[in-house]
Amino acid sequence: MHMKVTRRKFIQISGAAAAGLAATGLGFDLSPVRAHAQMLKTKYAKETTTICPYCAVGCGAIVHTSKKGDGRVINIEGDPDHVINRGSLCSKGAGLSGLIENENRLLEPMYRAPYANEWKQVSWGWALTEIAKRVKATRDASFERKNAKAQVVNRTTAIASVGSSAMDNEECWTYQALMRALGLVYVEHQARI
Amino acid sequence: MPGKSFFIDTSLCTACKGCQVACKQWHDLPAEKTVNRGTYQNPADLSFVTYKLVRFNETVVDGKLKWLFFPDQCRHCLEPPCEMTAEDPGAIFRDPATGAVLFTAYSKDIDTQEVIEACPYNIPRTARDGTLAKCDMCNDRVRNGLLPACVKTCPTGAMNFGDRDEILVMAKNRLATVKKTCPKAKLLDPDDVRVIYLVTEDPMLYHSFAVASNSAFDISRKVALNKLLRPLTRLTAGL
Amino acid sequence: MTNHWIDIRNSDCILIMGSNAAENHPISFKYVTEAQRNGAKVINVDPRFTRTSSKADFYTSLRSGTDIAFLGGMIKYILDNKLYNKEYVANYTNAGFIVGENFKFKDGLFSGYDAKNRKYDKSKWAFDMDANGVPKMDISLKNSRCVFQLLENHFSRYNTKLVSSITGTPEADLLEVYKTYAATGATGKAGTIMYAMGWTQHTVGVQNIRTMAMIQLLLGNMGVAGGGVNALRGESNVQGSTDHCLLWHIWPGYLKTPRASNVSLAAYNKKWTPKSNDPLSANWWQNYPKYSVSLLKSFFGEKATKANDFGYDWLPKVDDGEVYSWLDLFDEMYRGTINGFFAWGQNPACSGANSNKTRKAMAKLDWMVNVNLFDNETGSFWKGPGMNPSTIKTEVFMLPACVSVEKEGSITNSGRWMQWRYQGPKPLGNCLSDGNIIMELGNKIKEVYKKGGVFPEPILNLKWDYISDGLYDPHKVAKEINGYFLKDVTVKDKSFKKGTLVPSFAYLQADGSTSSANWLYCNSYTEKGNMAARRSKKDAPNNIGLYPEFAWCWPVNRRIIYNRASVDPKGQPWDKKDWVIRFAGDVKDGKYVSKKWIGDVPDGGWYPLENPDGTKRKDAKHPFIMRKHGHGQIFGPGRADGPFPEHYEPLESPLGNNLMSKQRMNPAGPVYTTDADSVASNSPEFPIVGTTYRVSEHWQSGLMTRPQPWLLELQPQVFVEMSEELAKEKGIKNGERVKVASARGSLECTAIVTKRFKPFKIAGKIVHEVGIPWHFGWRWPESGAEESANLLTPSTGDANTRIPESKAFMVNVKGGALNAW
Repeated sequence: MHMKVTRRKFIQISGAAAAGLAATGLGFDLSPVRAHAQMLKTKYAKETTTICPYCAVGCGAIVHTSKKGDGRVINIEGDPDHVINRGSLCSKGAGLSGLIENENRLLEPMYRAPYANEWKQVSWGWALTEIAKRVKATRDASFERKNAKAQVVNRTTAIASVGSSAMDNEECWTYQALMRALGLVYVEHQARI
Repeated sequence: MPGKSFFIDTSLCTACKGCQVACKQWHDLPAEKTVNRGTYQNPADLSFVTYKLVRFNETVVDGKLKWLFFPDQCRHCLEPPCEMTAEDPGAIFRDPATGAVLFTAYSKDIDTQEVIEACPYNIPRTARDGTLAKCDMCNDRVRNGLLPACVKTCPTGAMNFGDRDEILVMAKNRLATVKKTCPKAKLLDPDDVRVIYLVTEDPMLYHSFAVASNSAFDISRKVALNKLLRPLTRLTAGL
Repeated sequence: MTNHWIDIRNSDCILIMGSNAAENHPISFKYVTEAQRNGAKVINVDPRFTRTSSKADFYTSLRSGTDIAFLGGMIKYILDNKLYNKEYVANYTNAGFIVGENFKFKDGLFSGYDAKNRKYDKSKWAFDMDANGVPKMDISLKNSRCVFQLLENHFSRYNTKLVSSITGTPEADLLEVYKTYAATGATGKAGTIMYAMGWTQHTVGVQNIRTMAMIQLLLGNMGVAGGGVNALRGESNVQGSTDHCLLWHIWPGYLKTPRASNVSLAAYNKKWTPKSNDPLSANWWQNYPKYSVSLLKSFFGEKATKANDFGYDWLPKVDDGEVYSWLDLFDEMYRGTINGFFAWGQNPACSGANSNKTRKAMAKLDWMVNVNLFDNETGSFWKGPGMNPSTIKTEVFMLPACVSVEKEGSITNSGRWMQWRYQGPKPLGNCLSDGNIIMELGNKIKEVYKKGGVFPEPILNLKWDYISDGLYDPHKVAKEINGYFLKDVTVKDKSFKKGTLVPSFAYLQADGSTSSANWLYCNSYTEKGNMAARRSKKDAPNNIGLYPEFAWCWPVNRRIIYNRASVDPKGQPWDKKDWVIRFAGDVKDGKYVSKKWIGDVPDGGWYPLENPDGTKRKDAKHPFIMRKHGHGQIFGPGRADGPFPEHYEPLESPLGNNLMSKQRMNPAGPVYTTDADSVASNSPEFPIVGTTYRVSEHWQSGLMTRPQPWLLELQPQVFVEMSEELAKEKGIKNGERVKVASARGSLECTAIVTKRFKPFKIAGKIVHEVGIPWHFGWRWPESGAEESANLLTPSTGDANTRIPESKAFMVNVKGGALNAW
């Protein structure tokens, strides 16, 4: 390794020399670079606001979705008009686009048969139909109209459900309504742990 | 001095690493495969795909435990040794509007080792093909009136950005305040760089390249000559 | 949170204890920093020095599981030095209430203990009532049976020397914290607490928080700006999902799940509607039947009629005295009594305590439905470590849900702000929103029951019309949650048309003329529009950061709850600068003659307790309107484990006995007894205190961060943090892989040897503590080598909530040849 400058010594250059350098110019045109620098990747994207899905501070973010091609997210950053975070985001929020545009995501319904060693890809229609059948079979076999004291209870304790603080409010409501209509009492989620 | 500057107040940094990820996100930089080496600092160092890194150091000062955080990045020197060493504005140049020191794809054609060695803050890194990379001040954002991604994402006000004169005032005012409780507080190389750090302890406790050693006299003959006689060859060849 | 994130900036002293806000709620530090820059003191108490500690004005440590001892010492300090806010305590808390003669406390036990069932008879702790059925009171606080005197007596044992020997905190540090925090008892000063799972995940979790709530009442910090009791909730919508009660014991809006003994709707409403005979008590829950009937109308729509008790019988009842919590659920699953299981946006294989028990329990299921963004340790449990797929019969359906950004709807943050978010891109691949999956599944189940089945009525009658253009419509649900007028009605001199949205819960009715799927959210989506979508950056006139027209907050957009305690009995703010509300009614001859509050939405718009001339008003209400008697509860007779907090050791402790009393662990704490529930307390095999926590770079069980390369890069492996002293003792080097084990399981971790953990001196002996983040699991990263810290944690939990004791248990650590152990 040949070192022409002593390793990591800060070079102080006189103002005169610097001025001379800048003045040379020599017809060198920075414009292509400059034009590139001025083009924002978000320029032609659709903008929507969201709230960060990680902790419960409730920070606002702006989502830039491409209007072209596959219509995917090209940038997410803090929403400066959000009164709580005022544009800031932590490492998780700042990386939110990496959660969405993520090659590890589950993209198809999968099914694992009894004693099987692997997953099998299935359709939504098949999966939901089969789940409905399982729910009915287990519920009907276990349903208690009355408890040991002969009090009306109308429940099943053979099906349990956990989740989810990751759902929206409206989803939470419909979810618990369905579970309770089925007679589940084992309904729990993150708030308990 | 016109152009832009950063003020990084480490006394307010919580090391959330928002800046580190916001940088990767904006620049579409891939993640590195890392391991835990017995520290929260990861990746271990800056790289061709990591322009911003929060450095962590535990130390005891006057019997009190300190966990010091240093969001490291290119300082965008007012007179950048990298630019000077490269001698090739097609590879390394400054944006006259912002003062951002920028590396281009042509940096692979210059003597990158020489550039790396010239940096007093140990910032530039090379890709496999020899291209140099580092913080670009989010020059695309700044030219469009946005804050650099790292500054925008910072929750506590540790990262600040603006016109250089305003940033200098901000840094000096903040230093005066912090000094009341932390007498050792100081600004690092404020007259030489566009990224001005405020630290409350000896800078060496944060990072061995936190400050540059100030040696205007320790310049090689070649660089000294270059200052006066700028060669034209590679300048034009680079384009 | 009683207050909200921005309000932290109004505080004079911020105690961060039981949470690590800088790391786990990073943006909260915007406001912690702002307060600090304005002169507030930030105190951090944590077993280990964290990124939060690095920014605190004062940091000290305590052994995990000893917070009541630490805070009990603070109560004693406040009382000994008379630093409480006398006027606030006497007027707004139950400090003056006279407690009945049956209440006693001796040797760590309160009166009424039933050792066989590990339960108290809470009737022994009742207040003495006067002839009108109103609690007897002595607001001079001198009566020897008043709450204040009993409190002083109870905490007289919590001297700093004893506290220090339990917590391991140096006495000087205790005094420094006590002195700094107690200074907020001065009128006009506010102190706040930022806590999280560091306080809840204990057998004494509720009492940890109660101890602090009592301190806040003593110092007059409830209801004021920069004060309150602030739980930093961990997930983006865990507040909303709790409000909608995805929990066994409550129905949407914190109504009770009916017990089997509540044999009719009338019996149910009678049982759960509190009665107060004090005309000055608002006793807000007296409106209970309006909320329960409106909820049933949302469940079953037109099918819910007065004749059929609005469908009350169609919904499941729980047995009296039985508990169906998370720990009980997995205990039953482990015992094989549960056959079908949904894991919906949750990863119990890693997130619950005692993961080995949870994972083994799953192998006993017939079927499981796992809905998530990524394949996870729950859905793939059958091929996890130690599992042999060929012996596991469980069928698993794994359904791909889309990310929040790919759908529309609202979430509620920790400050109770309901915020609307919009769809950016469409769901990736074949993902669907949870809403669409739920609607579709409901439709399929309805279809199969149309052909018959056991008790199909609730399924077929469930109102299920939240679809527009074939897809789930969040606006339709949001409106249902708010509630509708179901006929033309006139309420409180106002007329409303059938089919219009109810403007606030004050208009809900118990006769079936209104619906509201959650009374707490009534006012969120009205004829004026979707309140959660509001974006105005205009502050309220008090300029304390309420931003009343940004999003919406429950209840009725009140940003600081219990805010009527922020004013004196005449309705004027204790803090003249950062005031929350003030009474601005007209005054005539020293009396208020018109009603007007300004600032935040007041906790009820009644007149203040006193007129400007000091005369008492009969049309006023006490400020704590959700409490039956209207007072802040320094004495809490509703808790399962005692009306006052008391220090008990965790289930697993480094000590053979409790230095405070003969009761080693919480006498009302649950005990589980399967073969997966091994316990090792005060055991030489596991001599080190273990705790779990989170880091900034990951989130919860890690499922939304471990498969995310940018975040995995930052924290790629599970680690165990330990002191330099312990590492030296064990011959462990920084960065080496070590094994951590408890009586229930073990995992491999990278050692972080740090000055940030220090050994404790407990009861004269050195006690080490180590900590592990619980973000990891074998599925991600793909190395399969990183596991969940919950393999170590025990199945026991809080006596009231049964939140698992994940924060204090016993372990051992070994380096070197990992397989030899």
